[in-house]
Amino acid sequence: MTKSYDEIVGLVRDALTEAGSTFREDKKEAYKKAIASEHSERAKWVLEQILANAEVAEKNRAPLCDDTGIPHLLLEVGEDCAVTGRMLDAIRAGVAEGLRKLPGRPMGIMGGDKERIDQSGGLDPDPAGVEAAPVLIRRCPDNVIRLHVLMFGGGPAIRAKTYRVFHKHDAQVVLDEIVSWATESVAQLGCSPCTLAIGVGRSHYEAASMMLQAQVDGRYDVQSEMEKEITDRVNKAGIGPLGLHGDTSVLATFMKVGPQRASGVRIVCVRPACCFEPRIATVELDHGDQV
Amino acid sequence: MIRILKTPISEDDVRELNVGDTVEISGYILCGRDAVLPKVVRMIEVGTVGDLGVDLRGQVIFHTAVSPAGVGPTSSNKLEIESSIAPLSEAGIKLHLGKGRLHKETVEALGRSNSAYAVIPPVTALLGSKTSEEKTVAFPELGMEALHLIKVDKYPAVIGAVHGRSIYDEEL
Repeated sequence: MTKSYDEIVGLVRDALTEAGSTFREDKKEAYKKAIASEHSERAKWVLEQILANAEVAEKNRAPLCDDTGIPHLLLEVGEDCAVTGRMLDAIRAGVAEGLRKLPGRPMGIMGGDKERIDQSGGLDPDPAGVEAAPVLIRRCPDNVIRLHVLMFGGGPAIRAKTYRVFHKHDAQVVLDEIVSWATESVAQLGCSPCTLAIGVGRSHYEAASMMLQAQVDGRYDVQSEMEKEITDRVNKAGIGPLGLHGDTSVLATFMKVGPQRASGVRIVCVRPACCFEPRIATVELDHGDQV
Repeated sequence: MIRILKTPISEDDVRELNVGDTVEISGYILCGRDAVLPKVVRMIEVGTVGDLGVDLRGQVIFHTAVSPAGVGPTSSNKLEIESSIAPLSEAGIKLHLGKGRLHKETVEALGRSNSAYAVIPPVTALLGSKTSEEKTVAFPELGMEALHLIKVDKYPAVIGAVHGRSIYDEEL
């Protein structure tokens, strides 16, 4: 590592607070476009409230939402870079510091397996009691170690779905199923407009990891044909912001299709990321010796 | 037009509300969600709700945790929350504040009690500047999910259900 343990802790801490408090520029633009094109005055008012909330949150470095979310981490590793156990320890410590600084909602559940399931072990009063999900690692073309921090809220987790689809050798069949799932889940979520995060893989694990990567790679101003179709078709349902009707149920779709198996089945993960998600920030933790 | 609602909310206040109205809520309101609301309902059933030390008549219940991260609505259609709406309304709660579509039976129960449901945008950063006091009322062992009382100033919301009608069932 060319950076010290303490430097990495600080970088991760600041990335987490940024993720929990800041809209990226392309998302701000997506909201502004939605406000300009929305026909419903009520829907327009909701969108304006959400954007104003983002401005205040960014200015005060305060949480966008009181459900500050569960940290999900994607680590990108360049050609000559090495991830050490010590670096993973520093990332873990940085997450803890970030949760205290944001502050994160103290929603870590204490106790053994049974107590953590039925919540009988009580809540950890320390925001840092919320552990990050397992770290996902992938290669990247740049000779750096780059960390993406995403904060996953509970509402989208309740409404998300990972299941098999028999594709009948027609991609449209899979798209139709995605639109059906998404329309139902967006209507139930209550925190629209959504960004639909979608992964298609060979297993539930792979589909969910594709869904996470879709949120890292997705851009509101760059949409594929399939992504546009999904967004447009769900918006036609007229669910609107907070489900109160309107043109803007979905701001965009971020979809990542992984390798597929020779089979009639595709495993699809659809997460209706809420009006604040993806809550994401990116930081470079180190670089390779050749840089 | 924005309707002003100050707690305690009267029967007439609710009678004058319509689905889709924009309201601003001010005063002291209760906060509770999944963990604590069934416990309050149980107190109503066994006749000990007076032990709370808070008069439920005319009150608002905001479906939220109260934590250092702030406040913001959780989904009101979660089983333990939505099932509390009818009995709490019968006990005098006039406004349930949350988000998400409610079932038809719940909307009808609200109508029978002359109570309402309002959808509040999940704007935690904005709500922070409109929240000035907070205290734990009951079940402190639940931490952020305990029953809390907070003082709010002009919380913005849209009436989602009242008089047996729901905004979610309106024609598009």
